[in-house]
Amino acid sequence: MRRIAVVLAGLALVAACGGSGTTTQSTTPKTGGTATIALESELRTLDPLDSSLLVEREVFYNIYDALFTIDPTLKIQAGLVKTWDVSDPLNYKFTLQSGVKYQDGTPANGQSVKDNIQRYKTAANSKRKSDLKSVNAVDVVDDTHVTFRLSKPDATLMATLVDRAGMMLSMTAVTKGGADFSLAPLGAGSGPFQFVEWKRNDHLTLKKNATYWKSGLPYLDGVTYRAIPDVNAIVAAMRTGDVDIARTIAAKDVANLKADSAFIYKDMPALGFNGFELNTSAAPFNDPAKRKAVALAIDRYQILKNINFNIGVIGYGPIPPSSWAFDPTEKIYDKADPTAAKAAATGFTFTYKTTSDPVQQQLAALLQSQLAVAGITMQISTQEFASYQQECQQHKFQACQVSWSGRIDPDGNMYAWWHTGGDFNDSVYSNSQVDGWLDDARVVSDQAKRKGDYNNAQKQIVMDASYVFTTFGVSAQISNNKIHNFTVFPDLMIRMAEVWKG
Amino acid sequence: MTAYVVRRLALMLPVAFLVTIGVFLLTHLTPGDPALILLGEDRTPDAIAAIHHQLGLDQPLYVQYLTWLGHILRLDLGRSVTTHQPVLAAITERLPATLELGGVALLWSLLVAIPLGTIAAVRRGSLIDRLATGFTVGGVSIPNFFIGIVLIFVLSVTLRIFPFGGYVPFNKDAYENLRHIVLPAIALGTAGAAINMRFTRSSMIEVLNLDYIRTARAKGASWQRVVFIHALKNALIPVVTIIGLQVGGIIEGAVVTETVFTWPGVGRLAVESIFNKDYTVVQGIVLLAAFSFMFANLVVDLVYGWLDPRISYA
Repeated sequence: MRRIAVVLAGLALVAACGGSGTTTQSTTPKTGGTATIALESELRTLDPLDSSLLVEREVFYNIYDALFTIDPTLKIQAGLVKTWDVSDPLNYKFTLQSGVKYQDGTPANGQSVKDNIQRYKTAANSKRKSDLKSVNAVDVVDDTHVTFRLSKPDATLMATLVDRAGMMLSMTAVTKGGADFSLAPLGAGSGPFQFVEWKRNDHLTLKKNATYWKSGLPYLDGVTYRAIPDVNAIVAAMRTGDVDIARTIAAKDVANLKADSAFIYKDMPALGFNGFELNTSAAPFNDPAKRKAVALAIDRYQILKNINFNIGVIGYGPIPPSSWAFDPTEKIYDKADPTAAKAAATGFTFTYKTTSDPVQQQLAALLQSQLAVAGITMQISTQEFASYQQECQQHKFQACQVSWSGRIDPDGNMYAWWHTGGDFNDSVYSNSQVDGWLDDARVVSDQAKRKGDYNNAQKQIVMDASYVFTTFGVSAQISNNKIHNFTVFPDLMIRMAEVWKG
Repeated sequence: MTAYVVRRLALMLPVAFLVTIGVFLLTHLTPGDPALILLGEDRTPDAIAAIHHQLGLDQPLYVQYLTWLGHILRLDLGRSVTTHQPVLAAITERLPATLELGGVALLWSLLVAIPLGTIAAVRRGSLIDRLATGFTVGGVSIPNFFIGIVLIFVLSVTLRIFPFGGYVPFNKDAYENLRHIVLPAIALGTAGAAINMRFTRSSMIEVLNLDYIRTARAKGASWQRVVFIHALKNALIPVVTIIGLQVGGIIEGAVVTETVFTWPGVGRLAVESIFNKDYTVVQGIVLLAAFSFMFANLVVDLVYGWLDPRISYA
């Protein structure tokens, strides 16, 4: 979460620049060349099975193919699954692309899909178990047809299979890699690039998959990732030409980069949200009026301007503008209203936990001054990330800054956070109506009905203010002008198959 | 001398034992849960419990310590909590980069310190002495990360003479290796250069006032011979002590520099492992650092004997 907090602080930023997904500067793709991409932290694993970092997912999307993909508008598209029939909510029938092979030459067929799902569901160190909870079994009909048998209807499953739980690996490569597979997944994917070497803390090299099933792709001969754990250093490396593409930079650097013709900066709304949680199980925020007072007293426009340098948009709830469930009319807490805040509650003190990240420190100081206007005293407690994270998870806090990177399906932005007993429900929020809406949205397949559920839940959640939303972040193209045909996706992932350099 | 070395090595054992207790307590009693760091946005109560069990964190602390100690005695530092890579492999993989950086930084510091310190001592009170003193104050007071940032800004980002960070192995491309190492080595070695210069200067002044120097001069030895042959060797004894500490401290010094210059060494691994609560790796690195110090001190004591024949190891 620390990384996500930093990412979203860096990119926590919207639509000033808005814009569509694809940014093409020239029309005739050139083949060859390599691109270097800066990552803001080092990876821990190259196996989707035990991955938990955003930067890992970014690399995975270029090595592995998932069963489904998305387009920049978040619509589910064919991946390794070519066509699908989900009319029976308990039996999803998938037809696979035919003739696809992993980089080690083994076929990406029905049996492989079954084996992969089985591995994700059963391996001791798998972090994909909860993603695939609703999947009972996978039946192999033949090489290109599989049926996912579900224990209960799960409207979120296809979106889940876009990400790590849907990424297919060669089981031969997994077995061959043994204990070190996660450090060197040789020939394991069927994606546009294949693993070459990983020198931790230095570089991770991928080379073109010459037998990629999408003909003519990729254009680049290879991609190199470099972990540069400082956003200022990333900008310096871009200026020296040591990296071509970055996933995140500090908001303060965006204007300079945009003004420089040697670089390209374009962004679009991302999937996550920023703000801070209030603990409803302990004083003072077990009193709803005090939570409301804080939500009313915050000046989100000032945060957007002074902290995020106007990169991003105001956050009104957990569903961002990039989502199909976004409700533009929901603006329960918009402009700061210290008078209304005072009328709700005033004269109380609370402690706000945050990390030592400079941007988060500035944000905390700004919040402190805004709340003081409404007679609320906010004390800032700066902690080392590991202890801060543990205390927030164990509900040992009054207010805690924590952002969310976001998920393709709105369920991923809400259920774990606000359903009673949810895995990320640090603020111990509980509302039976909200539980009902969130449960319903998981099982109904009609998107309009789901949207209604999410909008109802969102209104109640925002009103109850167990989390105070501040801004929505952006997903961006940050590159030099030699990079072409780059498509920005709301999920922050840099997909390199169609990118070329020239 | 062999008996002396054996005795010293034997004395290291209780120290090493105390170090294992210290490092274990430091990594286990600091707040934070490795399971939460490992799981990130994928945390569920079941997954947290599974990781606690997998890592043995559900065992009493003394059991965890004894298990770890047992592994160490079999020269097994365990596997990284975050990457599952064997800790020894993780460290040895990065050690060459750290040793290279530390070695070049030390070389840089000596190339600056010994001539400058000697000249400053010989020409006490001159302009060069004052400039050298100014360099000492600056070198010691300015933190190496700041020197690093300034070097990057001026020589890398603005003038584009040197690359920004990164590492190219010497056997892959010697020229690029040298280009990449210049800035981090200067950043890391400058504080050492300043300290070594100061020690060389004051020790040299002391030696130059001794009787045997006067005798050498009276015998008709040239001034250069007196300074560089007679005086310098003896003046270097306190400098060697400091250098010994600096060699032992290469890993600590590299922590900041390696992070600023994205140098893939042990220092950067240490920082990353601390943030990730990767306690097995942190324990391994601290043990290595402690042993480096102990061995460096032993080597320093042996070098004394070579520099000054009056010192014996009976």
